[in-house]
Amino acid sequence: MTPIPAPETGIEPMTLWHALAGPFIEYPFMRRALVACLALAIGSGPIGVLLLLRRMSLVGDAMSHAVLPGAAIGFLIGGLSLWGMTIGGFVAGLAVALLAGIVSRHTSLREDASFAGFYLASLALGVLLVSTHGSNIDLLHILFGTILAVDDSALFLVGGVASVSSLILLAIYRPLILECFDPGYLRSVSGRGSLYHLIFLVLVVLNLVASFQALGTLMAVGLMMLPAASARFWARQVGSMMLTAIVIALLSGFIGLLGSYRFALPSGPAIVLTGSIFYVLSILTGRRGGVLTRLLATRHLTG
Amino acid sequence: MKKLFAALLIGILAHAAPASARDLNVVTSFTVLADMVRQVGGDHVHVRSLIGPNGDPHVYEPTPQDGNALAKADLVFVSGLGLEGWMDRLIKASGYKGTVVVASKGVATLSMREEGKTITDPHAWNSAANGVIYARNIAFALAKADPQRATDYKIRGERYMQQLQALDSWAHKMVNAIPAYKRKVISSHDAFGYLGAGYGIEFRAPVGFSTESEASAADVARLVDQIKRENIRAVFLENSNDPRMIRQIASETGAVLGGTLYAEALSAPGGPAPDYATMFRHNIELLVKGMRGN
Amino acid sequence: MISTPVISLENLTVTYDRHPAVHHVCGCFQAGSLTAIVGPNGAGKSTLMKAIVGLLAPAGGGIRYAGIDRRRDVAYLPQQAEIDRSFPITVADTVVTGCWQEIGAFGRVTSAQWRRVAEALSAVGLDGFGRRLIGTLSAGQFQRALFARLLLQKASVILLDEPFNAIDARTTADLLALVQRWHGEEKTIIAVLHDFDQVRACFPQTLLLARELIDWGPTDDVLIPANLLMMRQMAERWADDADTCSRNRD
Repeated sequence: MTPIPAPETGIEPMTLWHALAGPFIEYPFMRRALVACLALAIGSGPIGVLLLLRRMSLVGDAMSHAVLPGAAIGFLIGGLSLWGMTIGGFVAGLAVALLAGIVSRHTSLREDASFAGFYLASLALGVLLVSTHGSNIDLLHILFGTILAVDDSALFLVGGVASVSSLILLAIYRPLILECFDPGYLRSVSGRGSLYHLIFLVLVVLNLVASFQALGTLMAVGLMMLPAASARFWARQVGSMMLTAIVIALLSGFIGLLGSYRFALPSGPAIVLTGSIFYVLSILTGRRGGVLTRLLATRHLTG
Repeated sequence: MKKLFAALLIGILAHAAPASARDLNVVTSFTVLADMVRQVGGDHVHVRSLIGPNGDPHVYEPTPQDGNALAKADLVFVSGLGLEGWMDRLIKASGYKGTVVVASKGVATLSMREEGKTITDPHAWNSAANGVIYARNIAFALAKADPQRATDYKIRGERYMQQLQALDSWAHKMVNAIPAYKRKVISSHDAFGYLGAGYGIEFRAPVGFSTESEASAADVARLVDQIKRENIRAVFLENSNDPRMIRQIASETGAVLGGTLYAEALSAPGGPAPDYATMFRHNIELLVKGMRGN
Repeated sequence: MISTPVISLENLTVTYDRHPAVHHVCGCFQAGSLTAIVGPNGAGKSTLMKAIVGLLAPAGGGIRYAGIDRRRDVAYLPQQAEIDRSFPITVADTVVTGCWQEIGAFGRVTSAQWRRVAEALSAVGLDGFGRRLIGTLSAGQFQRALFARLLLQKASVILLDEPFNAIDARTTADLLALVQRWHGEEKTIIAVLHDFDQVRACFPQTLLLARELIDWGPTDDVLIPANLLMMRQMAERWADDADTCSRNRD
């Protein structure tokens, strides 16, 4: 392997603008990566906040395993077609989420337990299918993309999902929030409490699977949950938490991509680590409940 | 009395005549090797490849049937040079006690970088010149394991080696027809170290070699710059990896997808690389065509 | 005023896993009545209330609603424990959901409705609490907020499940006054309560429940020693070896 020479340094001075925007102006793939981050932030940010508040934070990671049998069946039917495997993965993820939701609603099993049960079953089924029928191609590795390789169809997928997801979320915002913290009341005034919950689960799976395919698991789950966790320390209400999460996600993407460019760090981890740095900073210095903020708050009001 | 003696003689002679030799059961690690063994071995050697077409020989999850096949095998072939790290454990578990032939013995090795470490490049077979060495080792091993057909193997081996030699010369001719500054290609996987070194083609890859590692934006940017600067026109996919990164780079630079190269596995029987010789020819043809456009 | 039954219980049975939480309850709530449901622990009072609201399905018998729509006209205040108070939402946003029947899931909240929210908060003594997060309220304050929500619901039937549990005396008094006001507005009110003094003082009707109906009628007639004795004899534990109830009619 011949070594690749260092990037050319221009003669123009390194202004701040050039440092921040330069790579994005120069390279289409960087622009697409940034747009993909924007779509991910808008689509997954609010969903992450709701997952966090409903104590379902680990769902994202579990879902990355739950999609396996669907991808395997998609592969068996259509070969290495990305779309076939993505649709298969979506169906599998949806089945797991819906079954878990229904079971937790109608039995004594809580959401996290029923979800754990179904996703493990799904994962085992997937491994079985792959082992008996597949060649030894790492299906999940092929299914999960990387942000630097976002092509038109992947961009369309994440962008489309983000748009549709945001619109639906806006539409069912009130009943969904109510379902989160006072499901009893919702059930007494509206017969459709479960419906909103199921719609929410569908949105979760949709966002996750689209993000897996375009950006890989680390980024998909990382940018769904980390900004939400950080936003807890800055925003007062659930609405502003969602907006804060979107902003933090976008900033993480932007800074992470820049870091990947300037310091030759792998892109996905760089972005997620940036998100983690935001998270730690939020824990320490967040306006609401930050550790240092609390320690340093010495003077209180008169009333 | 004479009749009895005659009968006895015939009986002894019947036993003394060589028993028709049993066919050989051979197991190889992956398809490229399996094909080469078949070419040299002929009809009386039954070859089974553990990894199927389009598979990845670096990682493999064995099944119980594999263990069985190994236990019943007369001879086992691996490519060696660290390619089949999973093989040792499988052989031990299966209880196979026979010889494991390293087909790459005698190849002048190159090194490569993987996950930050420098290791021996195991993809020796992608150069036809090394293929000749593989064929020789295979013929020798088969003759040793099955002495009764030794002559057969020797003849078939020589014939195969000649075929591969011819391919090697042909490849040199094709590549040398292209001016040196044009001999650069982009490929997603670095299995072509020996091919590149053997025929003077420069391979560049944007991603690390392990399926776990991920590219940085800087890597991709540099590669894009280089392709544009040096006017590299041809980008090649590889049949067992995610093609999206390569496609992205192609679309960004205006380079053309030169086709799929076969590096670590044969294609299915109907495909463009059903056997080793065809695979090599296919690779060289695609590469040359791509490089001409640079 | 002619009394009309608004909610009739007809041989109502609600079970958990075949054990009767309440069984064979018959009777009716008159429109405009102010009824207390009392009984020992585990008597099925909450269960009965949930069945009336429609959160639990009857295992036997039924409930009839005369002249009202169960969703629109019945307001229900559950026990506090079912609400996640750590959720980051303000008092105003919580209370405004009382307008559900008018705006549904998707309608916009008008300024007139926000005004009503402010009025309701005033009525329960939570002036200026609109922007506070529900997690920052005390138990008493939060209960007042839930009552404010009830005010906005404009329901004709109000069900309160242990509304004064662990609430300070001042809040209890204020909320009881609110209940009296509702009674004056001819709303039908049913409340699960534990404090017999409270019941005797403020609630003209009483339903005495110990899994089965012991008595139902004017408070002074129901809360007599004979009934209270029967109530105490109710077994609290469910009998695992109990026979099938002889009054089952399939």
